[in-house]
Amino acid sequence: MRLIFALLLLLSCTVRAGEPELLEPEKAFRFSARMIAADRLEVRYEIAPGYYMYRDKFRFGAEPASISLDASQLPPGTIKKDEFFGEVQIYRGDMRFVLPLTVAGEPVPRFTLNAVSQGCADIGVCYPPQEQKAEIRHTGLSSGALSAGVSPFLQSAPGAPASAAAPRGKPQSEDTLIAELFKGGYWALVMSFFGFGLLLALTPCVFPMIPILSGILVPHGEHLTHARGFALSLAYVLGMAITYALAGIAAGLLGTLLSAALQNPWVLSGFAAVFVLLAASMFGFYELQLPSALQSRLAVTTSKLHGGHFASVFVMGVLSALIVGPCVAAPLAGALLYIGQSGDGVLGGSALFAMALGMGVPLLAVGASAGALLPKAGPWMETVKRFFGMVLLGVAIYVVSPLLPAVVYMLAWAALLIVFAVYLHALDPLPHGAPGYRKLFKGVGVISLLAGVALLIGVLSGSRDLLQPLAGLRGAAAPAAQPVLFRRVSDLPQLEEAIRGAAGKPVLLDFYADWCVTCKEMEAFTFTDAGVRKRLDEMVKLQVDVTANLDEHKALLRRFGLFGPPGIVFFDRQGNEIKGLRVIGFQPADKFAATLDLVLN
Amino acid sequence: MTRPLQALLIGALAVLFAGAGYLFYEWRSGGRPPNPVATGQMVLAAKFMGLDNQPQALGQWRGKVLVVNFWATWCAPCREEIPVFIKFQDQYGARGVQFIGLAIDQKERAGPYARDIGINYPVLVGGLEGMDFARQVGNSRGVLPFTLVIDRSGKVVTTEIGVLKPEKLESLLKPLL
Repeated sequence: MRLIFALLLLLSCTVRAGEPELLEPEKAFRFSARMIAADRLEVRYEIAPGYYMYRDKFRFGAEPASISLDASQLPPGTIKKDEFFGEVQIYRGDMRFVLPLTVAGEPVPRFTLNAVSQGCADIGVCYPPQEQKAEIRHTGLSSGALSAGVSPFLQSAPGAPASAAAPRGKPQSEDTLIAELFKGGYWALVMSFFGFGLLLALTPCVFPMIPILSGILVPHGEHLTHARGFALSLAYVLGMAITYALAGIAAGLLGTLLSAALQNPWVLSGFAAVFVLLAASMFGFYELQLPSALQSRLAVTTSKLHGGHFASVFVMGVLSALIVGPCVAAPLAGALLYIGQSGDGVLGGSALFAMALGMGVPLLAVGASAGALLPKAGPWMETVKRFFGMVLLGVAIYVVSPLLPAVVYMLAWAALLIVFAVYLHALDPLPHGAPGYRKLFKGVGVISLLAGVALLIGVLSGSRDLLQPLAGLRGAAAPAAQPVLFRRVSDLPQLEEAIRGAAGKPVLLDFYADWCVTCKEMEAFTFTDAGVRKRLDEMVKLQVDVTANLDEHKALLRRFGLFGPPGIVFFDRQGNEIKGLRVIGFQPADKFAATLDLVLN
Repeated sequence: MTRPLQALLIGALAVLFAGAGYLFYEWRSGGRPPNPVATGQMVLAAKFMGLDNQPQALGQWRGKVLVVNFWATWCAPCREEIPVFIKFQDQYGARGVQFIGLAIDQKERAGPYARDIGINYPVLVGGLEGMDFARQVGNSRGVLPFTLVIDRSGKVVTTEIGVLKPEKLESLLKPLL
């Protein structure tokens, strides 16, 4: 669905592409840097077409000052005759320059590169000098083994000829991990995505595709050879892969607007609806396949061609990718958003194509086995299908969770758990001498039932905490650990003010919502840790409660490129975000303490 | 799959796409020019240092046809249009037009330049705060040159990004005199 959505966006884009638009400076002059040797730093500016930068306006510096950079040998630029400045040298296109780097004294594991630059657009406007920063990790400076971590963002330093407002940099939504994935070069990236696809094949997302594929293979009956089975499933997988590739291209060209769209209630509800429909098919309410009219039309029109059946199978692959798309959408979000920021359609397309091939590997195996590997129908199989149906419903609840009040959210989970238990025959007596798997299922069912009932009782007794639904029943006798004292901020101006008021302390900004399980986990298991507490005491702790999902909350989330909570963002003592240290998801106390150490130093 | 379910599925998809398209349209058509009255009020409420180190409130020129030009010495296109503004200030000053130059620059650079080229209208020094101000009043990309024309009632008539050609400036000012 995300795919179709992306394609739709692409379409609308071309329709409305008439008016030229100025790029944000960080898009016009895309900045990155990395270590290429122990004593050389490569700085890269990808300058958008129609934009240029002045050679003599570059300034580079490093923090700590023990690292010095030599920027005296910048490559010659092209000459531009300027009415007022005379002949000036400018750069266009993809500019890389290598800066020799020397370290005085002790090697440092990481340092901050400050780059000041200034450029203009051909249409006759100029951007103010901007200062950009990159965190360079420099793990093996002395040994010569290097790794580089780069995250471009704008910085504002008091007194520097840079932008004065802190939240100027366009938020980067990717986690550094994903970013690092993208640094390995084209093929490494494509292979990583193939692996990612293989992992996705282990999720229930591929499951709805198996009945479709079996619908293709079964009519061939006994005549199905291994080769033909493989060829048919390959056609199917290719159809799927090309559809994903188009989505990747769209994401690459559209940039970050996907992230904004993905926070829209209608889009989220639409995704959830598709999950529910998929789940319904898992529960056997209907068979997931193409409408029979369309299927026979395709068969008729394509059978005249040689190998025509392949074409129709291919089309089925395309359509199934569209149907099952939302299922893989959630894990893909980060990657797609990053591709968006890369602005590279070819890269995005290839990456997603490889990912779909990875996802298709089990389907290819089913095909090559000439159907022998197709899951056999039977009571065992039905239970597995129902399990996946439950998982899909769970995903549906998760997707719409930002829109739901905590009560509804918890009730939905309670209902899901209880119905799941009933499907697992938790309430039916086991027949004497029942097979082992029935006993296992019953056990799981009973656990699910108890969890559901506990949630239900909890929510009805006033608890809004998914992790401790019965906490309210303990009475006043159970003093909880002293909660971390967060200062609440609810909009951007408040946040900026709070950061300004941090008085040289690092700032932690926690995105929180009542329905956010990870947030509760962090509160219950991580923030309570003494070591974490000690480090937190040295910081200014801010929290945004986005439970109500007001416009200013959305603006804040967008500002940081976040989909929703959980998300913890750090700012250094100067009030600039420390990129690459974001905590998205649960971190146990020891890991979180290590993250805090990085912030504090 | 039974027919009603097919219909339901297809219907759901159709609604979803339609919604997505609409939302995207809404999203794209964002960035409308800011409210002209409120923006004008914001400009007239602003206060910046003059080249003489005296704070100057833009409100003192309320009631005139105001042309507020954001510029900098490092900005070549800005230098291109400033002579035009000097000429226009001469030509239309008596008829109630007031140019204001807001330099996104250091006073040490803006001052000498203004003197050398003979700027005949007030130059205020905005520094980089001036750039934030520019963003607030409609210069979403934070680029220079950027020019606002405000009518006698304090309403913003136009915001212009890039060099303002003499013909265009004239056609903008004439109806406001």
